Amino acid sequence: MQDKEQIIAAMQASIRDYDEVAAEASARQAVEAGLDLMETVEKGFAVPIRELGEAFDRMDIFLPELMLAADAMAKGMEVLDRAVLAAGGEVKNKGVVVLGTVAGDIHDIGKTVVGAMLQANGYDVHDLGVEVPDTQFIEAARSHNADIIAMSALLSTTMLHQRNVIELLSNKGERDNYFIIVGGAPVTPAWSGEIGADGSARDAFGAVKLLDSHREAWKR
Amino acid sequence: MNFKEIAKRGETGRLMDSNDFLMKRVAASALKLQKQYEIKWEKGTLVNQDDDLADRVWTAGRELLISTGIFSMNSNRVIEFTAEEIDFALRFTPDRVFMGQGKERKAVYHRTVEDPRKPFIFAGPFNADTHENMFVKLNEAFAQEKIIDSLLFPGYLKELDGQIIRPQSGLATRAAVLYGQFAREAIQRAGRPGMPITGHAVMASGEIACSNEEWGLRSTDPRAMVLISELQVDDVTMTRLAYYQAVGCPIYMAFTPLIGGYGGGPARTAIVAVASFIASVVLGGEIVHIGPQHIKYKQQTNEHSLFLGGLADQAVARNSKIIVTTSHTTSGRPGSAQYAREFSALALTVVTGGSNITGPRPAEPLGFNNVSPLMARLLAEVAHAAAGMTRAEVAPIVEKLYETYKNKLSLDNAPVGQPFEELYNLKTLTPTPEHQALYDELKDEFIQMGIPLG
Repeated sequence: MQDKEQIIAAMQASIRDYDEVAAEASARQAVEAGLDLMETVEKGFAVPIRELGEAFDRMDIFLPELMLAADAMAKGMEVLDRAVLAAGGEVKNKGVVVLGTVAGDIHDIGKTVVGAMLQANGYDVHDLGVEVPDTQFIEAARSHNADIIAMSALLSTTMLHQRNVIELLSNKGERDNYFIIVGGAPVTPAWSGEIGADGSARDAFGAVKLLDSHREAWKR
Repeated sequence: MNFKEIAKRGETGRLMDSNDFLMKRVAASALKLQKQYEIKWEKGTLVNQDDDLADRVWTAGRELLISTGIFSMNSNRVIEFTAEEIDFALRFTPDRVFMGQGKERKAVYHRTVEDPRKPFIFAGPFNADTHENMFVKLNEAFAQEKIIDSLLFPGYLKELDGQIIRPQSGLATRAAVLYGQFAREAIQRAGRPGMPITGHAVMASGEIACSNEEWGLRSTDPRAMVLISELQVDDVTMTRLAYYQAVGCPIYMAFTPLIGGYGGGPARTAIVAVASFIASVVLGGEIVHIGPQHIKYKQQTNEHSLFLGGLADQAVARNSKIIVTTSHTTSGRPGSAQYAREFSALALTVVTGGSNITGPRPAEPLGFNNVSPLMARLLAEVAHAAAGMTRAEVAPIVEKLYETYKNKLSLDNAPVGQPFEELYNLKTLTPTPEHQALYDELKDEFIQMGIPLG
């Protein structure tokens, strides 16, 4: 059996190589070796994924690489989460995010980048896709027990749906259950304030910073 | 290729997940082709002067489109083309397109690298959010600038009668009707009733609502549609295409390759851009607009976008007859000197690269009516001055201009500028003395830098 350092090194390499199979295999080795899973996740997956996030920020790597790394980490985390649950523990993540592009808007890339960056930074992201009806954001947030609702809109017309979702939540008395962030080309801090969102970000890096810096506001 | 065949392939092509299309086809193929053709960006290069690199990018872009096809987002099917079909479309794409009426009828044409002929100028509000009571005035102010050949995207009415417009609603249709009426009124008030209006109503149904030979957009007005990044179409795109072909208007097709996205860095994204240029003419686009997006800066005058824009334009100019126009989106906003320095750097780069001009506009307007027709005039003047210059001549000027704003690319740090109503006297539709002085100072500055402005 490999020792702890070797297993952690293999986990790190799997993320840096964007290798889902290796990530799954090394996570399984960590479970079989009886390692402390919290420490294993931090050293084996979180460290390299943060490095890649920083490399993405510097534009040393690009969206495909970031997505492949996030996918590899997700595969490895499935193994570790199962082990934690089997042992009667609780799966930890920074926060649960329900993410999507609003109704009538088919633009995908910006939202996908935000999802990949949040995932790479330890958030549990549920990507609802594009053209998400107002009510689906709310239903998904409820069913995933989300902390955060993130809505993207690329058109100045479709951004009205961001307002609608918030208004709908308020009318249902559920507004305060979620930290709501909005983004997209036409979205400004002024718009965010006007519709009663909790914040806006210009890009994926900004979204991570916004959530990380407001953790007290949304972590229940 | 005719619409029926494209539509058929959109319903019968290979069924595929969108993510697989983008990751396994676009990203993987672009990476492979980048290595195969040794396409690189040397950090610091703003204006490409390597013809062989431009030709390799063309070859790689054509091969990319053959290997990827175009993804139909609503049917989840790939519209694929053979090499012969692509070459056929390239052979028969027009090298000039006429638009407008009467004295204002004019042609936009394919330009070559370092072409001495003046570029065509598409300029106007460029989709700026526009107040109802300001719509005609600011469009008239653009139309009265004779150097502008076509009024561009007369503006979005977000509110009407004090009410925010909901997409696809009756109010949205009323806004589309007014979009056509107001734009026509503006060009008539400017004394240019035949001036072409390049239009893009908000929703596909709005395109029909704003069309009318008597009072709205005419069949002689180019109409715009946008491919979705990367190499994707949706039902709205195809609806526009079907309608524009039926109307017989010039088709202005735009695409927005994302630097830092599925195409990677600027060099690889140039391959995706060339594939998108070719895809546009295969679909039936006649004037093709490139508006590179940037994952970090969200504007088009950063070093990556300058290089990509010039390189992709050169690749297309050297190897095809495609009529190219390049979007000018800046961090600085109208009313600031940075706005002009940014769009001038890009204009010098792309005009010598074989492009026509679309713009300018700020990446993040501050509220409504954030436009300056006077700055559009300055962009056009710089673009005309660049015609006949060489890439070697413009490169050091572009570098000087870039130095002035490279640390203020972030939209948080970029100058906030002023709206139209603060930059113009609304009674006379002339620039305020302060705005005129800014224009005069910038013009002197650019002449000192070596731009041959008259």
